[in-house]
Amino acid sequence: MRFLPDELEIEAGEGESILELAARVGITLRGACGGNGTCGRCLVVLRKGAVRDRDGGTVAEAGATVRACRSYPVGAVVVEVPETSRLREHQVLGADVGLTLQAGEEAAEVPVDPLLCRVEVTVDLPETGEVVDDWGRLQSELAGLAGIEVRADLEVLRELPAVLRAEGGAVTVDLAMDGGPAGSVVGVQAGHAAGPVYGAAVDLGTTTVVVELVELDTGRTVGTRGTYNRQAAYGDDVISRIIHAVERSGGRRQLQDAVVETVNGLLVELRLAHGIARDAVRVVVCAGNPTMSHLFLGVDPAHIRLEPYTPAANFWPPCRADEIGLAVHPRAPVHLLPGVASYLGGDVTGGVTACGFGGAGEITLFMDIGTNGEMVLGDGNWLVGCSCSAGPAFEGSGISCGMRATDGAIEQLGVTPDGYEVVYRTIGGGRPVGVCGSGLIAALAVLCCAGVIDRTGRYRTDLETPRLRGRDAGGGFVLAWAAETGHGEDIVLTGSDVQNLLRAKAAVYAGLRNMLAAVGLEQDAIGRILIAGGFGRFLPLRDAITVGMLPDVPLERYGYVGNSSLRGARAALLSGRRLAEIGATARKTTYLELGDGTQFMNEFVSALFIPHTDLGLFPSVREE
Amino acid sequence: MAVKIVRERWPGKVYEMVLGRRPNTVRVGGDTSLPFIHFEGEPKKPVVALEIQDIEPLGWPEVLWAPFAGLMSDPVAWARRCVEYGADLVALRLAGVHPESGDAGAEAAAAVARSVAQAVDVPLVVLGCGMEEKDARVLPVVAEALEGYNCLIGQATVDNYKPVAAGCRAYGHSVVATSPLDINLAKQLNILITEMNLPPERIAMDPSIGPLGYGIEYAYSIIERKRLGALMGDRMLAPPVICLVGEEAWKTREAQVGDTPEWGNQARRAVLWETMTAVMLALAGGSIFVLRHPESLARFQGRIDVLMQPQLY
Amino acid sequence: MALTGLAIYKLLPKTNCKECGQATCLAFAMQLAAGKAGLEVCPHVSEEARETLSAASEPPIALVRIGSGPGALEVGSETVLFRHDKRFLHPTGIGIIVSDTLDGELLAARIGVVNRLSFDRLGQTYGVDLAAVRYECGDPERYLTAVREVAANTELNLALMCADPDAAARALELVGDRRPLLYAADAENYEAMTALARRYGLALAVRGRDLGELAALAEKVVKLGHKQLLLDSGARQPGRVLADQTQIRRSAVNKRFRPFGFPTVCVATGEDAVLDTAVYIGKYAAVVLLDTADPAEILPLVTWRLNVYTDPQKPIAIEAKVYEVGNPGPEAPVFLTTNFSLTYFCVMSDIEGARVPAFILPVDTDGTSVLTAWAAGKLTPEKIGNFLNESGIAGRVNHERLIIPGGLAVMSGKLQELTGWQILVGPRESSAIPGFLKQYWSQ
Repeated sequence: MRFLPDELEIEAGEGESILELAARVGITLRGACGGNGTCGRCLVVLRKGAVRDRDGGTVAEAGATVRACRSYPVGAVVVEVPETSRLREHQVLGADVGLTLQAGEEAAEVPVDPLLCRVEVTVDLPETGEVVDDWGRLQSELAGLAGIEVRADLEVLRELPAVLRAEGGAVTVDLAMDGGPAGSVVGVQAGHAAGPVYGAAVDLGTTTVVVELVELDTGRTVGTRGTYNRQAAYGDDVISRIIHAVERSGGRRQLQDAVVETVNGLLVELRLAHGIARDAVRVVVCAGNPTMSHLFLGVDPAHIRLEPYTPAANFWPPCRADEIGLAVHPRAPVHLLPGVASYLGGDVTGGVTACGFGGAGEITLFMDIGTNGEMVLGDGNWLVGCSCSAGPAFEGSGISCGMRATDGAIEQLGVTPDGYEVVYRTIGGGRPVGVCGSGLIAALAVLCCAGVIDRTGRYRTDLETPRLRGRDAGGGFVLAWAAETGHGEDIVLTGSDVQNLLRAKAAVYAGLRNMLAAVGLEQDAIGRILIAGGFGRFLPLRDAITVGMLPDVPLERYGYVGNSSLRGARAALLSGRRLAEIGATARKTTYLELGDGTQFMNEFVSALFIPHTDLGLFPSVREE
Repeated sequence: MAVKIVRERWPGKVYEMVLGRRPNTVRVGGDTSLPFIHFEGEPKKPVVALEIQDIEPLGWPEVLWAPFAGLMSDPVAWARRCVEYGADLVALRLAGVHPESGDAGAEAAAAVARSVAQAVDVPLVVLGCGMEEKDARVLPVVAEALEGYNCLIGQATVDNYKPVAAGCRAYGHSVVATSPLDINLAKQLNILITEMNLPPERIAMDPSIGPLGYGIEYAYSIIERKRLGALMGDRMLAPPVICLVGEEAWKTREAQVGDTPEWGNQARRAVLWETMTAVMLALAGGSIFVLRHPESLARFQGRIDVLMQPQLY
Repeated sequence: MALTGLAIYKLLPKTNCKECGQATCLAFAMQLAAGKAGLEVCPHVSEEARETLSAASEPPIALVRIGSGPGALEVGSETVLFRHDKRFLHPTGIGIIVSDTLDGELLAARIGVVNRLSFDRLGQTYGVDLAAVRYECGDPERYLTAVREVAANTELNLALMCADPDAAARALELVGDRRPLLYAADAENYEAMTALARRYGLALAVRGRDLGELAALAEKVVKLGHKQLLLDSGARQPGRVLADQTQIRRSAVNKRFRPFGFPTVCVATGEDAVLDTAVYIGKYAAVVLLDTADPAEILPLVTWRLNVYTDPQKPIAIEAKVYEVGNPGPEAPVFLTTNFSLTYFCVMSDIEGARVPAFILPVDTDGTSVLTAWAAGKLTPEKIGNFLNESGIAGRVNHERLIIPGGLAVMSGKLQELTGWQILVGPRESSAIPGFLKQYWSQ
């Protein structure tokens, strides 16, 4: 099986679809439906050979365009993967990109105290008459140096006698810490010339995976890379992936392999770019939502999805890299940040802790808005968290003209009040090909303000403009005419798109209202709002308030904390104390299940309006 | 022993709607208290309409049909009989404009409505056929034909409120704003309609009630929440509530099944089904009731009169 | 007044020890605030906090029991004024008055009618709760006969409407072990009546001539050591009853006025007692005694009580069955959705808007929306397949094509395999149904 134009080849196994083969060679195809043959986004062109369907039925010949997820190669096959079927490259959101923090908002500085440190010691070799064993000598040397108790790894003891004597007792020891009072020796090399040691902080996102390589003793970031999570081929969202993992035989393994390979690919790129040997990467910290954590570790995720929504574990024991196949030192400890509940994971606990949440005792709201809107509210002593299913609209998915925040995406726009003309700005400044999340929020705000849609998101029918076409699903408002666009087609925001966006924003705001109600606070009590994540970066705050997605509090209370998941992982990597603090955050966070009862629905329906059914909650919007 | 009477202080009130022509105007709403609670404000008496239709209705049980025997093919005569029975209002349902029930045109419907309005002194409620698109075309024409009669016209929904509310605004009528059983959707529709410059005292909220045994509890609580909202000062929950009880109550099995030993006499049971639905929704805070049976009307009015006798401390 | 979760949290140890079964102290505090947990499960709460919190968590209205054995009627322990705030807990007991002036066959017939006042609804049986024998004739012997007859011929709980302590004492010798409601102690007879209630462990109704006398009387009876009370303000004019009921509930719940911390009993005797009873059921009566046994009147009443006492916090769900929009024929399209009422209403109104008669099949998903149900595994191909079979839709259409919501596209293949029906993936939004029908259904 050969893929063009990449020129990648692979041996096809029994019953493997072209989609699965592509995933194996590293080509990530679009696949919103999770390989069910319903979304029609994974089209490939058959250049040579033939394919059959799952039942062995219909055969397509060379020249045909087929759905990769529903096609199985017969003999030697060559396919071409068009650009439109691939997940595009995208910008990587590093931990520190675009921050708008106030002084002191970074969590209080702690000394670099990484989860693994490399120390050089010289052990006196035994003389006749001495009865202390090799490990005992090393142990007391280390105890004296680090002031802590140390344990040995059996692998280390196996080679210790020779290593200890190779350079006359001079050795370099890799001492792993986990925030507790004891350390363990996970590696010993002869001599004192081992070079620096590195750790990897990993953001295991549902859509995007980012790896940051860090030099452990200095805390310096060597490099950051990100790419699409290869699990995307098995579904866009966590629910589709859980279903794939549970219902397909070998599905759980497929998903684990896909995400591990994604991480490995990034690790290799980073190591090659910076000339770092595999074994020099000696510790990994990952932050992900609970589903991603389960899948990364190969744990059965079935009950995350089913009532009463129970994860296998919130706190994960550290494991070894070779147990899950990570391309770092095989005995490197791998930590996953602890979560709170099935839909509130280590990405949030890490993020909340790393951005110094509630440090000043002020009531703070942390929001990471993606497919799930995760929120934490509290003053540092008490914390409540929730997760609301916003759907993929803000990621540009499920919206006919939607796209991710890459070149060609309309990210900001305005509508003239008289002639309903549209002005817009695209990422990269080129011709538009779609609208990204921030552009969609802006569109909702300006179309409502210009009176093109009413407060329920319905298009007005009586406007004198050719941009407005009908009001059923096929109709909508033309944001950019075919002549202006990069792909030669009109960019239209349909009525269904508007309803989708309305629902997404309503879910976020309703989640917030429910959380406030649970603790009996009004939104004005929130002194600080920290927005995290990729969508948050370019989010037009004013527009997001205008449409009723974010609370109407003074803009200066908002801050942007970047990829907080990655920041959490990095903070833990560099400080055992920070890792312990993240655990404390996870333990004291009270999770609110929004699915319970009618209260969420009540809030949700009242938020399905621009800005909100209770206009009193949006005083500044009413004044406009 | 002296007991301290617990009195709430309500900052808001239900909007007062005026229907009909002088000297026969009818005032609806305006309550400054919970329903029938006289010791901390002024509850207002709910008003009752009897329902007539522009075409002879099919499928009405004999119990319901008997009091109007011979009149139901003549909306004018039917309406007059309703007034004789003591109805405060007449509600004309334009069933015949529905595409599957005759598909009458807007002009024909308007002519029927006008002739009924001319024939009776009491104010008129005009309800379309319930199909939103058709009502959007018919009701503005009806509104124009009834100019000067100060009617209550509906039902405007979130999908057709613009033409319906515009017609009401232009020709001096009030509008029935219908939303599914949800307080937020009702409030949203009120906001949309008032933003068209139809003031809230010209809106009657129709919460799409369910009858006794078939969802009355949802309507009961939503109406109760609306009344509390109005009294607490939420203007967008303050328009009076209209309950289309008759058509819902007479659809039920309990109203349709004949005499049985277990369920007793049909006429008493069916009339009570309609009356109890109405009295309970009045207890929740409904202001306008559309009923079908004259006995229900009399029995409802009897209870309301008793509950309206001021009881103070 | 009730404390908020955060206020309670501040009084707790804040150790997040999990010994109460909750993950955090705040979660436990929220459970306490919602009345879903008791303070006793927290082993570490301080004495001071315990005092503050137990005062706040004491129920404002006592629980009172009428009758004995498993069929006893429990009333009271309500906590709110409006059912949308929190569920009304204990449905009103309906008691049918049987006069002691009836005798022989007339009495037997009356008891028979009362016994038959039970109705089947959605597979459950609902009926009246009490047979209330009223002392009217003035002859204790005759009353005794009536009580004996009623007790021997009904399994319902009993009430003795008898303000004469001597007559009541003799009746209780017969039926005391059935723990009837004793109605009623008043300013004149309360000492003797309280003694009877105490001797037999009865629920005792206390009747004043107005709220003031009622409060004083309730306090006196409590002082005599009896706390199983029902309150009757003596009002009979329905508007007055409504006002008094409102005052008693407000005083108990909002002001914690202890003399009114008991359930209430109303007697409906006016010209339209059934409708008055319905009003009292809606507004706070724990027991209503009325003088009609006509099933045509009791059926609506029992239905109304059932409706008022349902849990308003449950999502509004509709029955899972075949629904028709317009007058669908055998060619009409079949739409699948969930039984969450808002979801169903959206689908229904958009199909109506399309002017295409159709069938709608709302699957029972506990009243959740399509995506929520799907995400939670409540909307599986198996479940849809079963519903398709059980609904009998196959017999009403001449095709096997099912339109499923766009959000369920992923399961179309499996559903097709399972049911053999052709699965058409409809739009994600119901607003797109008209366009969808235009495009796909005409073919």
